[in-house]
Amino acid sequence: MSELLPILSYVSFFLAFAGIFGVMCLGLNLQWGFAGLFNVGVAGFVAVGAYASALITAPSGLGWPVPFGLVGAMLAAGLVAALVGVAALRLREDYLAITTFGVAVVIQLVALNAEWLTGGPFGIQSIPRPLFEAVGGGLAWNLLYLALVLAVLGAVWWALERLVTSPWGRVLRALREDEVAAAALGKRVARFRLEAFILGCMVMGLGGALYAHFVGYIAPEDFLPVLTFQIWAMLILGGSGNNRGAVAGAVLVWGIWTLSGNLLRELLPQSEQARGAALQVVLIGTLIAVTLILRPRGLFGEKAQVSRHAGK
Amino acid sequence: MLQLLADGLIVGSVIALGAVGLTLTYAILRFANFGQGEFLTWGAYIALSLLGLLLGAAAMEPLGPFSFGIELLAVLPVAAALTALLALALDWALFRRLQQGQAIALVIASFGAALALRNLLQFLYGTLPEYYTREIQIAIRLVPRDTLGGLRITPDQMAVMGLTLLTVVALHLLLTRTTLGRSMRAVAENPSLARVAGVDVEQVRRATWIIGAALAAVAGIFAGLTGQLRPGLGFDLLLPLFAAAILGGIGSVWGAVLGGFIVGLAESLAVPLVGAEYRAAVSFLVLIAILLLRPAGLFGGRP
Amino acid sequence: MMAFEAVTGGYEPGLPILRGADLIVEPGEILALLGPNGAGKSTLVKAAAGLVPVWSGRITLAQREITNRPAHRMLAEGLGFVPQTENIFARLTVRENLLLAHALAPRERRGTIAEMEALFPDLARQRSLAAGRLSGGQRQMLAVARALLAKPAVLMLDEPSAGLSPRLVATLFERLAAIRGTGVTILLVEQNVRAALSIADRAAVLVGGRVAHLAPARDLDPTALGPLFLGGGH
Repeated sequence: MSELLPILSYVSFFLAFAGIFGVMCLGLNLQWGFAGLFNVGVAGFVAVGAYASALITAPSGLGWPVPFGLVGAMLAAGLVAALVGVAALRLREDYLAITTFGVAVVIQLVALNAEWLTGGPFGIQSIPRPLFEAVGGGLAWNLLYLALVLAVLGAVWWALERLVTSPWGRVLRALREDEVAAAALGKRVARFRLEAFILGCMVMGLGGALYAHFVGYIAPEDFLPVLTFQIWAMLILGGSGNNRGAVAGAVLVWGIWTLSGNLLRELLPQSEQARGAALQVVLIGTLIAVTLILRPRGLFGEKAQVSRHAGK
Repeated sequence: MLQLLADGLIVGSVIALGAVGLTLTYAILRFANFGQGEFLTWGAYIALSLLGLLLGAAAMEPLGPFSFGIELLAVLPVAAALTALLALALDWALFRRLQQGQAIALVIASFGAALALRNLLQFLYGTLPEYYTREIQIAIRLVPRDTLGGLRITPDQMAVMGLTLLTVVALHLLLTRTTLGRSMRAVAENPSLARVAGVDVEQVRRATWIIGAALAAVAGIFAGLTGQLRPGLGFDLLLPLFAAAILGGIGSVWGAVLGGFIVGLAESLAVPLVGAEYRAAVSFLVLIAILLLRPAGLFGGRP
Repeated sequence: MMAFEAVTGGYEPGLPILRGADLIVEPGEILALLGPNGAGKSTLVKAAAGLVPVWSGRITLAQREITNRPAHRMLAEGLGFVPQTENIFARLTVRENLLLAHALAPRERRGTIAEMEALFPDLARQRSLAAGRLSGGQRQMLAVARALLAKPAVLMLDEPSAGLSPRLVATLFERLAAIRGTGVTILLVEQNVRAALSIADRAAVLVGGRVAHLAPARDLDPTALGPLFLGGGH
């Protein structure tokens, strides 16, 4: 029985992270899979959520209960998304990509330099872990938090499924399929897109908060472009356009990531660990490239995608 | 004030040369290449390795008032050529296989390729900064302190600006006086008509990568020369590069050059206001401003 | 000179526009390609030019098969094509358009820019002007000149009269007749039936992706063509 404990601990740890990434991926799927919006600044919105929740709940911040942090995370991410969206959403998709990329860069800059707010390069410590003392930490708490993450994941999934099959969602899908009809609807299109963008970012912010309360401390280096790429990799591999694909992709990519990480840790000597981390990114990058080329739909992706030829 | 202007022009030179490749790939290959920054970094590091090969453990003998020796001038074209090869290899392995699908796949792939390339470089060279030479440069005072704050400039910086200008003129001649240049402009405007007119679009594609990557490599070497080499060199310039290319108007080489200088100057002039840490934010503001006010850019035809 | 044998094809897989089109173009003739919108007239010449995929059937030029060959090689095969819209490089100057066409033409048989400027004097006058600033008629001249520089055996034009005043149409078509006089075979897609029939030797009517009717031009009465267009016809 005691041999199972470390395994159980590891698995719960793994699944909790996979679930957290799954939440972020669901947010991205709403933006890309359903609304066709190209957000290359995912890490930035995750960071906003994480820092917001941290500041609301940490003793060095407001010290409020965790649920306030989660809600605050969503509101903060939603607010930033609204600002960005109003300015950038009417742009064509690759300009939106560049703009959201820039947003993430600026957010990271602020996280790194605005020490009075974010703690600068050291970030924020002692972020409260809900019910940690109540269950006595350790494996029990890991399992508890896993349950929390799965509950949130389930709730977000359910909410998004309802949303997508609602009249609002049907309009969104129609807009994605037929741009000409979209143009004819004019102002309404902008409104729908903005709403999808904001909602997606709010979910990403929620994911960031879940991350913060799991790990207990956050720093700017937790929200680098690599994170954006990881979430995109999850969505692409799992298959964009449906929520099942988003979550499956999260588990899959996170599995590959940790596996390759462990493998490299075994193979490389202590002094080369940093280099090993770099190699991980190369491996994942290559994997994504191969997937894009050989099976662009990913695992669960929809068959008919609107293909915009990149130049006939 | 003058000093800030000069610094801005130096940074601007690097951004200008890097942005040219970006605007060309954007116009001719029709996608925003997030990997462009890595061509700068790889160009700089390839030159470093070539210098190592050439000199062994010895240091470079400075050429005249410059900090670099003749060896750097010798490795510059070779590094540019090798970076061009890297670009072609990347195109062959990745980009051309995605060209027929969704345009977004290309952008994601380029983003991933950028991360992979940067990390590969980090894996190979480590994370500590490198330098081409340890020679200390004496700045020359061009304008005394009492006039607009004065102006001091190092010979290296003057060389960078001079070479940038030469490169841009050469590029202009290529695009306006040669068949290849006209073919590239034709494809940028209307790929279908270009094919009907007999343009081998594959050849133009290859030329675009070669020119864009070679220029980026030169820009990277200039950045390494006037600053330092680190794995994040190119990636950190990505936002300014995009700002410059979009400001100038996608597809316009002169636009990218002018945009590069404007972004460089804006960043430099903003430093006393926002602090050096927030330089990149200035590029972002320039980008947002252009996209809101005039998405087609200064010389662009396509908004 | 040129033959289309049971050509089937279209832009999107599963949506054929050409449904077994058969046509033979005789050397040295002007063949007008007529028909209602959507019949596939433009698609037929674009298929020949290598711009639209051909799924079955063959296209040959001077007994050589050119089906689905890369579009940029067609000039070397002796096939010139003037698209309907966007047929010149607007951002290059008139001279640059001609220089480019000259450089891309097969070395053995290309024309000279001087020849083109003699054929279309307006172009000589407007050398340094960005081609996008030319008037509609001048643009068409430049587009034709561009294609002619490669001295093609067959020249295909897609609705060259579109957007031109009747006087300009007359001038343009008069030039086309002169070009035919130099031995170039011309395949002319047109909506302007009257103008097309005024210079054509034969006319083919395309309906629903197939050639429904083929006759000498003088045997065709423009007003009688209405029913042919509307009749569908297999």
